[in-house]
Amino acid sequence: MRKADIFIALLLMSVGILVLVDSVRLGFKWGMSGPESGFFPFYLGSGLIICSLTVLFNVMRKYRKGGGEERLMPEGALKPILWVLIPATVMIAVTGLVGLHVAAALYLAFYMRAVGKIGWVTTILISLIVPISLYIAFDKLFLVPLPQGLWGAKLIPF
Amino acid sequence: MEDINNLIMGLGVALQSYNIMIAVIGLVLGIIVGVLPGLGGANGVAILIPVVVSMPATTGVILLSSIYWGALYGGSITSILFNIPGEPWSVATTFDGYPMAKSGRAGKALVLAFLSHGAGAVLGVIMLTFFAPLIAEFALKFGPAEIFAVMILTFSAFVGLGGKSPLKTVASIFFGFTLAAVGMDIVSGQLRMTFGSVDLMGGFSFIVAVIGLFGLGEIFLTVEEGLKVEGIKAKVGLKDMREGLKEILQNPKAVIMGALIGCWMGLKPGGATPASFMAYGFCKQSCKNKDEFGKGASPGIIAPEAAAHGAGTSATLPMITLGIPGSPTMAVIMGGLMIFGLQPGPMLFKEHADFVWGLIASCWVGNFIGLFIVMAFAPLFAAILKIRFAIFMPIIVYVCAIGAYAVNNRMIDVYYMIIFGILGYLFKKLDYPLAPMVLALVLGDMAEQAMRQALIMGQGNPLIFFRPPIALPIMIVALIIFFWPLISTVKQKLMTKNAV
Repeated sequence: MRKADIFIALLLMSVGILVLVDSVRLGFKWGMSGPESGFFPFYLGSGLIICSLTVLFNVMRKYRKGGGEERLMPEGALKPILWVLIPATVMIAVTGLVGLHVAAALYLAFYMRAVGKIGWVTTILISLIVPISLYIAFDKLFLVPLPQGLWGAKLIPF
Repeated sequence: MEDINNLIMGLGVALQSYNIMIAVIGLVLGIIVGVLPGLGGANGVAILIPVVVSMPATTGVILLSSIYWGALYGGSITSILFNIPGEPWSVATTFDGYPMAKSGRAGKALVLAFLSHGAGAVLGVIMLTFFAPLIAEFALKFGPAEIFAVMILTFSAFVGLGGKSPLKTVASIFFGFTLAAVGMDIVSGQLRMTFGSVDLMGGFSFIVAVIGLFGLGEIFLTVEEGLKVEGIKAKVGLKDMREGLKEILQNPKAVIMGALIGCWMGLKPGGATPASFMAYGFCKQSCKNKDEFGKGASPGIIAPEAAAHGAGTSATLPMITLGIPGSPTMAVIMGGLMIFGLQPGPMLFKEHADFVWGLIASCWVGNFIGLFIVMAFAPLFAAILKIRFAIFMPIIVYVCAIGAYAVNNRMIDVYYMIIFGILGYLFKKLDYPLAPMVLALVLGDMAEQAMRQALIMGQGNPLIFFRPPIALPIMIVALIIFFWPLISTVKQKLMTKNAV
């Protein structure tokens, strides 16, 4: 909990610093035609830095006082989260090659079989039917083109 | 009288068979979205935005708002039958809804919840119909300074009344505004905070942020808890309907109290969840049979449900009259309006009266059809949760990815979605509120424009934001609300000192 708290505060602070640097580059004062481009971001960046510093200060004080070391996530919760996160990221990475629908079919099959321990028949049926129906709905009916990837056009010829 | 004529005109639009069909589809999707953990109204609407673009404006917005009504109804099914609140505003319903369902009166509990939703909706829509034109008329007098003041008021409400850590609320508001500022400066056209990257030039789309923060973030939370679904079987029979209707009529106080609190709270940002808790609390205080609360008392279901739906409906009012959405879902619906080139705000009533009244009329129609759908098919929707989590979870991720990609047809947005998902999870865990961040991201450009225009008008003098007669009182109220947590602690300290 403490580490995560500090991490997020530092993250926000670094965002604030980046914004501040860039708004100084753009000019944050009163220009020829009113406030310059960096005017609004300048205050945003400053606000973000002040807030995150205060959060950081509070966190330090709180944990120095009474430990209060609660866990960020319950015991053994990280594993199921990573089991969602990593395959999903892989799916998106693979999308560049085979297209979203094919990648999703692989992802569905993998998750249902490997994590959910669901029977082969159900797994194969669902990982075929869902992508095909979504393909028909989005690409064909609503004409929302979804990424095909490098080989997608060859994999779905219709 | 003019309003009634306009409403009739709007009903003519909303009752076209095509629009009714769209409304039914939206409602069914919305109920499913409301029932499933990990998908909420905001997400459901966000994913469908790319689809809606190909429709006429009124039909598209009817679809989006129907999903919202459906999600409002759907949330109560899971909280009553499964003790899992599908949406944050249905948490208060679990207190009495689940015990009542457990004691074998599940059908009655559902009927009570749905009818209360209906009652809340009616009051909310009445308010919308008759107050929206007045507020829009008034808002026509707003200049940039006043618009900025209203935004300050909106965000102050999150800080002062949000109940989370005020400091972290401010931090997440700043973060949202910062994300909104990335990309092209709308006034001068300069590139900001892009650091030479082409991907950052397009900025961050709030729809992608919503899908990541509320979709993936919520899934991570659900996975972590290790979802165990044990539902109660329910059938809604005629007898349940009769009993439910009778109970509602016997508890007019709970209905009216809930609906009024809901409609009032819904005007403020983030109102639905506190409204449902407040209504539950007030109702418990004022009822004779206090001991029955928590064991399945009817008023304990009626009040929070009426409040939640009332708040959900009345949140439409600030969105279409002022262009300020009260909840993340409303923000996404507003994003939908903007895609159609309809800028929400007072001018919308003048320039696109047919659209506005079509939308208001569809609130009437949508809520009534929704009531019938949930009444008739509640057990069917509840059966969705019998599907194994390992099956619908990857499908949700897949659909979220489609939604995120289709907003701008950019692959980078799908990666952003994952990052927002992780951020959403951490923010939730560490008590950074998400709703104000999303709203800041939505309103960022508008707020900045208003601020800069006002400053130009005032020749750089910030006192322009306090100019009478309209901006001044809004700013004063905003400041009081903003410092409310501070004021109340000081007050408490003084009180205890006096007592000692």
